Amino acid sequence: MSSKRAAARVFFWTALAILLIASFRGSQSDSGGLSILMEPDGTGVWRDLVAEFNREYPGAPIRLIEGPPATNTREDMYSTSFLSGEAAYDIVYCDGIWVAKFAAAGWLADLSSRPTADDRADFLPVEFEAGSYQGKLYRMPAFTDAGVLFYRKDLVSKPPETFEQLSMLAQAMQTEDRWGFLWQGKQYEGLVTVFLEVLRGFGGEWIDAQTREVKIDSPETIQAITFLKNTIGTISPPSVTTYAEEDTRNIFQNGRAVFLRNWPYVWTLIQQAGGSFSQQIAMTPMVHAPGFASAPTLGGWGFAIASQSRDPGRAWQFVEFLTRPEQLIQVQQRQGRIPSRRSMIPAEFLPILTSARMRPVIPEYAQASDILQRWLSAALAGRVTPEKAVSEIATETSLLLKGGRP
Amino acid sequence: LIIGRGQRAWFYAPAAILLVLGIAYPIARTVLLSFSHLNLTTGFQPRFAGMENYLRVLSDSRFVNSLGVTAIFSIISVALEFGIGLGLALAANKLVRGQALVRSIFLAPWTLPTAILALLWAWIFNDPYGAVNALLQNSGVISRPVAWLATPATAMSAIIIADVWKTTPFIFLVLLAGLQNIPKDLYEAMEIDGGGAWAKFRYVTWPFLLPFVFISLVFRIIQAFAIFDLVWVMTGGGPGGSTETVSVYSYQTYMRYLDIGYGSAQAAATVVILAGVAGFLYWLLLRRYARTF
Repeated sequence: MSSKRAAARVFFWTALAILLIASFRGSQSDSGGLSILMEPDGTGVWRDLVAEFNREYPGAPIRLIEGPPATNTREDMYSTSFLSGEAAYDIVYCDGIWVAKFAAAGWLADLSSRPTADDRADFLPVEFEAGSYQGKLYRMPAFTDAGVLFYRKDLVSKPPETFEQLSMLAQAMQTEDRWGFLWQGKQYEGLVTVFLEVLRGFGGEWIDAQTREVKIDSPETIQAITFLKNTIGTISPPSVTTYAEEDTRNIFQNGRAVFLRNWPYVWTLIQQAGGSFSQQIAMTPMVHAPGFASAPTLGGWGFAIASQSRDPGRAWQFVEFLTRPEQLIQVQQRQGRIPSRRSMIPAEFLPILTSARMRPVIPEYAQASDILQRWLSAALAGRVTPEKAVSEIATETSLLLKGGRP
Repeated sequence: LIIGRGQRAWFYAPAAILLVLGIAYPIARTVLLSFSHLNLTTGFQPRFAGMENYLRVLSDSRFVNSLGVTAIFSIISVALEFGIGLGLALAANKLVRGQALVRSIFLAPWTLPTAILALLWAWIFNDPYGAVNALLQNSGVISRPVAWLATPATAMSAIIIADVWKTTPFIFLVLLAGLQNIPKDLYEAMEIDGGGAWAKFRYVTWPFLLPFVFISLVFRIIQAFAIFDLVWVMTGGGPGGSTETVSVYSYQTYMRYLDIGYGSAQAAATVVILAGVAGFLYWLLLRRYARTF
């Protein structure tokens, strides 16, 4: 009995020792490569590009890690990894609104000297601006998005330019089973992008990123909230306050709406689906108030390099490879994304993308956006008045930007 | 081989090291951090903050809201779990045969990882395709699918139902263990004295069960107050912050806002509140218990 027990004990400790040694060796063998955390690679284009790079440029291999589809979750995965100082990811597939936060935390490498003069001339200038924090470039641009107004050209002969024209046309053309105007009203980042387009279309502003001054407490903000609120139940469905991009696209693509505010990917999908419906769709810049300009919100993706990366030179080699026209066009063809290179942007998108405007590049962006979303959502649902929402957003955001202390 | 007193103490060392590294150090560090500003603005360098983070906790409408959400969730779900768990335990205790089988079946939900069953329940309550909508539509209760997770009251109800489903077995098991500890002769004595079913429950079962009631309630309330995974997976705290619990907000403060100092203050404040709740439960239940004997 006791010899059996002794044997079991020896077995247990040996197994533990082996496991420990194995785990150390496992982590050491990882150090040979570099890794990039990406979106789920549904089309397989990223896998192909990584394989192509590893084949053509011998050296430490790049490993592709497919993350979850929710961009918030990937943002948190980067934060967790960088906070622990373990450099689990060398290359960041980076949303524009993360740049300031990651850069302020010291997690991104300075890329200011990396792009060539040709690249500087070809990529949209606003993308370099969106990828910079305090005068230094941290993110190489790759793909650009901007809010677009889609409409049914079989119903609307001349696209609207102002909020009023949009409301009138939507009212006139909507029927029993066709709503006038669809937008994203759910409490999430998408609502912020829509709201900014309306706010700036009225001549208002949210935050001045340069001076860190909160500009939201203005009559224009009240006008913007009131405009969105008045669409609910009149030209927009009551449940528009729960819709994200895909909800609105599905309704629009089923022919159940006249106008849709969304991103360029909708155009690609509708053209791919073909049929007579694709012939009935046209797009126009987002509407604005008379005397002001259309202000589509910029949304884009690019590549950044972790400051903790052990081989930033190799990482840049990979980023430089991915952002060349030959690689960008593969993603464009297979995913429908629009490259940020002016020479590659389809003509129909050029005027909209070149007029796109950034969300404020501040380290506290996530928190500021959450404040805006919460109160906007409350105002749209009628839980508070627009005036109350505006004053709360202004107070909380000012506190936040002063360092968050009362 | 004779081991002296001094040497014997060394055998406590592994346990002591684990306790210090695993529990004491993180708690001490969190408390320390809660008195400092440590965030993006300070470049992740700690700066002494005194009570500022705690003052901010008190004046933060979002924290107060999340505290309310957590309290509502904890009270309703633990009350339901306790009622159902007690009923099931009383019934199972009466079983002469098959008790082990019943126990295993009831225990199944409790053994599932929360994140996975949260995903499951999110699908059950899904708007067009979920089982709940299909059932209610087929039986004619509702004519159109209801977006359960999209309105505050229904989203909260869905989370509570999922939690009750998962953790009632825990209360059931603890109470059943308590019931089986009660000496049978006490019931016989009660019968001889002419006591009915209610009297048996009130004067024998309940007093003997109280320590188990206390344990199960304290465990459950502490767990419920710290609820994160279920909410995070099912609603993410939405819609409109109506299901955002303290843990969800603290997580956002830490991981999304990278405000470590303020997040620590939120965590510390929550622990203080929880200690108060546990103390109150002790006063409510066990003070009486001590008097009974």
